[in-house]
Amino acid sequence: MTKATDKLTAKKFWREVLKGFVIANPVFVLVLGLCPTLAVTVSLDNALGMGAGVIFVLMGSNLIISLIRKITPKLVRIPVYIVVIATFVTILSLVFEAYLPPLYESLGIYLALIVVNCIILGRAEAFASKNTIILSIADAIGIGIGFTISMLIVSFFREVLGTGQLTIFGRTLFSIPVLSESPLTFFIMPPGAFLVLGLLLALFRWLGVLKNE
Amino acid sequence: MQNNVKNNKEKRRGLIAVKILENKFYPLYFLIIIVFVAVSLVMVVNNVTRGKIIAERDAAIISQFKVIFSEIEDYKFREEYYEIYGDGDVIGYTFIATGQGYGGEISILVGINTDFTVKKITIITNTETPGLGAKITENFFTDQFAGLSSKDISITRNGGKIDAITGATISSRAVTDAVKSELEAKIEKIKGDN
Amino acid sequence: MNSNASLVTIFIGMVIINNMVLTKFLGLCPFFGVSKKLSNAISMGVAVTFVMLLAATATSVIYNYILVPYEIKFMNIIIYILVIATLVQIVEITIRRTNIALYNALGIYLPLITTNCAVLGITLINANNNYSIVQSMVSAVGGGLGFTLVLIIMSGIRERLELGETPKSLRGLPIAFVTAALLALAFMGFSGLL
Repeated sequence: MTKATDKLTAKKFWREVLKGFVIANPVFVLVLGLCPTLAVTVSLDNALGMGAGVIFVLMGSNLIISLIRKITPKLVRIPVYIVVIATFVTILSLVFEAYLPPLYESLGIYLALIVVNCIILGRAEAFASKNTIILSIADAIGIGIGFTISMLIVSFFREVLGTGQLTIFGRTLFSIPVLSESPLTFFIMPPGAFLVLGLLLALFRWLGVLKNE
Repeated sequence: MQNNVKNNKEKRRGLIAVKILENKFYPLYFLIIIVFVAVSLVMVVNNVTRGKIIAERDAAIISQFKVIFSEIEDYKFREEYYEIYGDGDVIGYTFIATGQGYGGEISILVGINTDFTVKKITIITNTETPGLGAKITENFFTDQFAGLSSKDISITRNGGKIDAITGATISSRAVTDAVKSELEAKIEKIKGDN
Repeated sequence: MNSNASLVTIFIGMVIINNMVLTKFLGLCPFFGVSKKLSNAISMGVAVTFVMLLAATATSVIYNYILVPYEIKFMNIIIYILVIATLVQIVEITIRRTNIALYNALGIYLPLITTNCAVLGITLINANNNYSIVQSMVSAVGGGLGFTLVLIIMSGIRERLELGETPKSLRGLPIAFVTAALLALAFMGFSGLL
């Protein structure tokens, strides 16, 4: 191992972070983490809350898994990753329940379901188990933010079309005159979620980012 | 001379590490240790947040009961009903009654005075027809229950004092019957507890 | 103490009205990955239903006899996922030893059942609704059948879609999502059933 290739440069760090935004965007490119994306994107607030939660769990699990990567036996690595992730999700759940009760109520079971979010286990297995701590954290931040941005995009469309308004942290940002009186509630409901995500996926493929099957 | 001692110490540590890693049961021990650490960590966080969580739940329940008992100061959970305290004394009781309406289950929060007459009811959840059965949530219907004792709680057609909503007999009856039967059951329970 | 919902209500609710895939968005990964061939869809559906039943039973026992009495409900996430991982491992080994053809047909999707939102989801739903062990089992079978039903419908539609002319951007996943949207819309018609 030469010291030159191992040297951690700021460039390397930020490249990992930005990777998660577009090229390896978890929702639109890797098509992972669908359950929360569809369920939670009813409003911007929910999407932000879930995104923050996922970033926390991703950072925590990537950090720990990278930390113990050299002493983790291959045989039990998946159960070990699962326990680590479950621990962070439980901690997140308790903290939300205590300090952010309304968010805890709106997220419901999807908060606990972060544990089986393919994104987190996927990153642990594909990246954190093979890379240094700092790079793993960078990966977590990048993928986490990419995931949050994707959810914000989906919830933007769903909230605007479905309620005619856009609210954040309880304050209304803007309200479209005709739409807010008779909004297209379809978009807040399950079918709307599928439709918005499907069309956005098509858009991303058209933009040349998504791989063709 | 000192370098040799250091090297030997490191070699010994390395050998011990290798011995541990090659132990046949190492994977199992590792998993057990991880689980142990995880559970301890979660227990710690739980202890830290416990107080706040309980406080939040209490506040949510009290604000729900405040709709019925505006003077509420405290409550006590008694398995099948809640005792409501105001001014240091029991000022009433609350419980939930459920009935099968036209569109599904109806959940009703019933508050009663210490003389077992109804103080107020509010519909918590329902899936009745909007514009018809869903009107059970409106004050003109629920206000009828205030002050009644259980013998008067049935729809006027059956000799009681509750006017059913026009075009929504099933929903109205579901609420009325649910409140009456749950009230009678709870009166027995409260009397038995005191 | 447990919920007093009837078994029939729970079952029909899980299969059609609150379908796990179309209303709760659980179990999507295999939904979009496997559902192109009908035979695969059925195998997957049955396998998931079976695991859901096992998981729901085991976790319900743990919930009702350990988590609730000892007030450690917050440990549920860790305990449930470990139970599920163990169950899937056991099921995988059993299938490998008894029916190699099935094992090969399911391929990588078998261990992936561990991270299937539907399995953990049903255990959490059961806990939230405070179901008894029997209620949890009915809920799991209903949920699994609902999942299988939708999987079969989707695979039939997707088989047809492969033969049609789809715009390049929509080909594959996007059009599958649009199809799911229409399917979800159709299923919403069931919401007045109970």
